[in-house]
Amino acid sequence: MAVELSTIKHLCELSKLDYDEAGMKKVMGEMSDIIELMDEIKAFDLVYDDTKDENEISLSDTREDIAEESFPTEKLLSNAENTDGCYVVPKVVE
Amino acid sequence: MDIKRTNIRALRKALDSKEISAAELCGEYFKRIEDADPRLLSYITVTKEKALQDAEKAQAVINAGNSAPLTGIPLAVKDNICIDGVRTTCASKMLENFIPPYNAAVIEKLNAQGYVLLGKTSMDEFAMGGSTQTSAFAKTRNPYDLERVPGGSSGGSAAAVAAGLAPAALGSDTGGSIRQPASFCGVTGIKPTYGRVSRYGLVAFASSLDQIGPIANDARDCALLLNAICGHDRHDATSANVDTPDFSEKIGKPISGLKIALPKEFFSDAVEPAVKQHVLDASKELEKRGAVLVDCSMPGLKYAVPAYYLIACAEAASNLSRFDGIKYGFRGEGRTYEELIRDSRSRGFGEEVKRRILLGNYALSSGYYDAYYKKALALKQEIIKEYNDIFGIADVILTPTAPTPAYKIGEQDNDPVKMYMADICTVTVNIAKLPAVSTTCGYTENGLPVGMSIIGRRFDETTVLQVADEWENGFAPISPKL
Repeated sequence: MAVELSTIKHLCELSKLDYDEAGMKKVMGEMSDIIELMDEIKAFDLVYDDTKDENEISLSDTREDIAEESFPTEKLLSNAENTDGCYVVPKVVE
Repeated sequence: MDIKRTNIRALRKALDSKEISAAELCGEYFKRIEDADPRLLSYITVTKEKALQDAEKAQAVINAGNSAPLTGIPLAVKDNICIDGVRTTCASKMLENFIPPYNAAVIEKLNAQGYVLLGKTSMDEFAMGGSTQTSAFAKTRNPYDLERVPGGSSGGSAAAVAAGLAPAALGSDTGGSIRQPASFCGVTGIKPTYGRVSRYGLVAFASSLDQIGPIANDARDCALLLNAICGHDRHDATSANVDTPDFSEKIGKPISGLKIALPKEFFSDAVEPAVKQHVLDASKELEKRGAVLVDCSMPGLKYAVPAYYLIACAEAASNLSRFDGIKYGFRGEGRTYEELIRDSRSRGFGEEVKRRILLGNYALSSGYYDAYYKKALALKQEIIKEYNDIFGIADVILTPTAPTPAYKIGEQDNDPVKMYMADICTVTVNIAKLPAVSTTCGYTENGLPVGMSIIGRRFDETTVLQVADEWENGFAPISPKL
């Protein structure tokens, strides 16, 4: 199935990704081939039944909701590009 | 001391008998890394200074006679496992300068035994690939033939162990990323049952499938490492609160009467004849040693690759949405918040990662969710049922680990579909959350290793390691010339 340009553009919106014109053409071809492979699953004649899922996570295993010491702020900020005691980003409100 | 293909038990003896000190031992590995890694490209970061400090601490423990199995043992760690203060890149430009502020749970456990970190090994970017050629920093080569891929995504770990640049390493496995490179590089690797090992501190690719595990020279070393890293962890709600056995407990015990299933779909025309023959020959040898071979079928395998990629990519699209260039990671340019995020992601991620994010969002988006994602979940239920049926008549399952031996670098670069189909032998194990070990069962005419996988029931790692060890006892591995 050939994927339409509008579909790829929509997926780029959802994925927060941009391609230039050549990149868009290339990824359209690749995604068409990949989705053709994924389409094979449509021939499988069973329906998902969420009651049959094995629930392996026991909710009773969660810890008490008590605040615990976390990582030092300076250590976390050390990986940020621009810091001034906080994360610096472009203006969000024009 | 000749460190090439030396197992951890031999190193333990050498350290405890003072034949070699912990510092001298890691010095030997660094010499080997300096000599061979410019050709092999298995490491992204080598941690020489830290290693010597770790070795000094370990030596004090050894001198006091308090050694744990891994005290002073040098190990390599895949570059998607966080180590406090050590650069962890996931082989991506996105995390080129990322230094984690904490240790993964498995690293805390290794630290408790006093291991020595040699460095961080290369991988496919964000563990997405089977060749280690999507790494942004070190496109690892196969030590048996430098023109071929080492497999992936834990290709750096497998190549380093095979070539004697580490006695063992940690990898991670989402769809075969420990077993397939172990197969291509002629070493042994185990993907534990989902939940056996904490994922805390493993950079997430597909959270319902990811699992950390060891790659080593043999099944006994894998058992030893698994003993060290397994167990419930309060930081990972999906880590299982179950008893942890000694994973060596069945090693050396006879396999007589053990039922080994051979699902016919794993021996189809999609698998190269030489690979098929080596695995079938190994099954006959195990039969001679007392195992009982059982024929069976797994019809769902036909749809396993699309089911796996739909689930894995859907989870990846969500997991990788955290990489926006704001708090950490590569930061692009932009006049607005939106432009900044889009530029950071478009230039920070490589092409394969971007393709998988697009596919994941396709599977999850309105209008396609039922047709793709929910269908993949139905397949998951079917595959689990088919495995349960087989485990009703057999104790373990034997399959090829990969349809081919290691292929030439560049051979699959422009064909994502071909690359995805190469995962056919491994992905169902992750979907069904089972343990599986890959060990070498032969070599092709041109000297490339061929791996076979032994798959077990959930939380039955001891039996798959028992069978792998039984096979390895009668097998003479050939080391790479590198």
